[in-house]
Amino acid sequence: MSTTADTLVLEKESSVDARATRPVKINWGAFFKVIIGISLGYLAFRVYMQKYAFSVGLDSFEPEFAIYWMRLFYAQIVVAALTLIGVVVYLWQTRERSPTTVTAEVELSRYFKWITWLAAYTLVVFITGALGAESDAAWHQVVIRDTDFTPTHIELFYFCIPALIITGVGSFLYAKTRLPMHNDKVFVALGVAIGGPILIMPNVGYNEWGHTFFYAEEVFNASIHWGFSGLGLALLGLGGVIVHIVHRTTQLIDVVSARA
Amino acid sequence: MAASQDRLRLARYYERTVDVMLLTLIIFAVAGATIFVMSVTIGDWEFWADWKDRRYWPLAPVAALLVFPAGISAAFWQRFRLPISCTAVVLLYTVFRWVSSYINFHLFGGYPMSFVWPSVFIPLAIVIDCSLVITRSVFLTGLGGAFLWGLLVYPANWPLLAAFHEPLTYNGEMLTTADLMGFQYIRTGLPEYVRVVERSVLRTFGDAVTPLTAVFAGFVCTLVFYVSWIAGSLLNNQAWVKKV
Repeated sequence: MSTTADTLVLEKESSVDARATRPVKINWGAFFKVIIGISLGYLAFRVYMQKYAFSVGLDSFEPEFAIYWMRLFYAQIVVAALTLIGVVVYLWQTRERSPTTVTAEVELSRYFKWITWLAAYTLVVFITGALGAESDAAWHQVVIRDTDFTPTHIELFYFCIPALIITGVGSFLYAKTRLPMHNDKVFVALGVAIGGPILIMPNVGYNEWGHTFFYAEEVFNASIHWGFSGLGLALLGLGGVIVHIVHRTTQLIDVVSARA
Repeated sequence: MAASQDRLRLARYYERTVDVMLLTLIIFAVAGATIFVMSVTIGDWEFWADWKDRRYWPLAPVAALLVFPAGISAAFWQRFRLPISCTAVVLLYTVFRWVSSYINFHLFGGYPMSFVWPSVFIPLAIVIDCSLVITRSVFLTGLGGAFLWGLLVYPANWPLLAAFHEPLTYNGEMLTTADLMGFQYIRTGLPEYVRVVERSVLRTFGDAVTPLTAVFAGFVCTLVFYVSWIAGSLLNNQAWVKKV
């Protein structure tokens, strides 16, 4: 038998009444909590940015900037690093140690949890790509002078992208440590869909270096930004991930419903 | 009999749950990825009314936007036989582009919505999906639907764009209404010398700029459609490797 916590829950449920309780655990509460939690977190940041970006965030050399923005920046870096370490350690320590004995019911339950991880990842992709990046585009057209740190960079590069890395790494590791099909090999489409956007972080280094030394303007369609484009296109891999989930869950549902 | 119906009901419940959860995931991913890639590839032609010229705007954004609809169509057509993904992707892009324009450029940056409205692509996406339904051929859809996608972008947007291309005289110079708005709403990161509009040579066809661009855009979009479809197909293959 598999040996992780969700197996024990399943055994408990099935021992009560296999017909009355569904054999597969679907945690809608966790699904909605994750989506609402991430959305509220970003909303709070966004309200803060709307209030303090232009009033005390125009120049990173000003003392007010150190109070209102640099403290936030340092806090974000620490929280992001600790969260990433925590997620990796937790997923690894609680990994499935006997993947060959995982039942179809447990595997299907884990696919639902994995979809929750991927929902968190794609929500962060949405926040980063649709809201974060364009707030930075608007910012650069309004301020007179760019400085080392800006409120929108603290939002985009040190809030959104670390969240992208945490949820992306979490999604990848969850599959590797819980799903038998992923246990001893890597699904290419998943690697592309998660690896590409994660590489946006190092590409930020090139972007900032280039803006400092040879491209002062902020034309968003300038070639200096095309590294971001290429890495963003890697999200096409999610099509393959969705096909995989539909295919595998269909197989598992057939087995589970036949045994119910 | 009752037991088999229960089993069927249970299977349907799980299948619907997978569908609903995946739909949420698809909405987030498609909207976020499409807007992000458009922003950092051809962003300014979508951001600003005065970048929507006759030479580059009907070419660059329309070609760049096609990548995701075509790539995702590969999955949805080949695996699920659903010819709706171009329209769905472009609809999501359009809705959230409006949201982003309002939140970021209007509320945060202070620009009027009449200066930062996004282009209209939905009718073009319907043309591609209809081509796929009618022909049931990827090759013919690229040849016809994708060509029309590039060709029709100007007429699809003309009701929105016409007022911004009205000529006016300002300080003795003739310019468009959109140009004047661009001068009035100063963008510090976007000086006039980097604005890519109407750049041409002396022998450029004066009146035929738009139709020529439209035909060229159709040609480029046909190629973009094929390349994106192939990329989508490759990523949809259930390929595994032992190590990364």
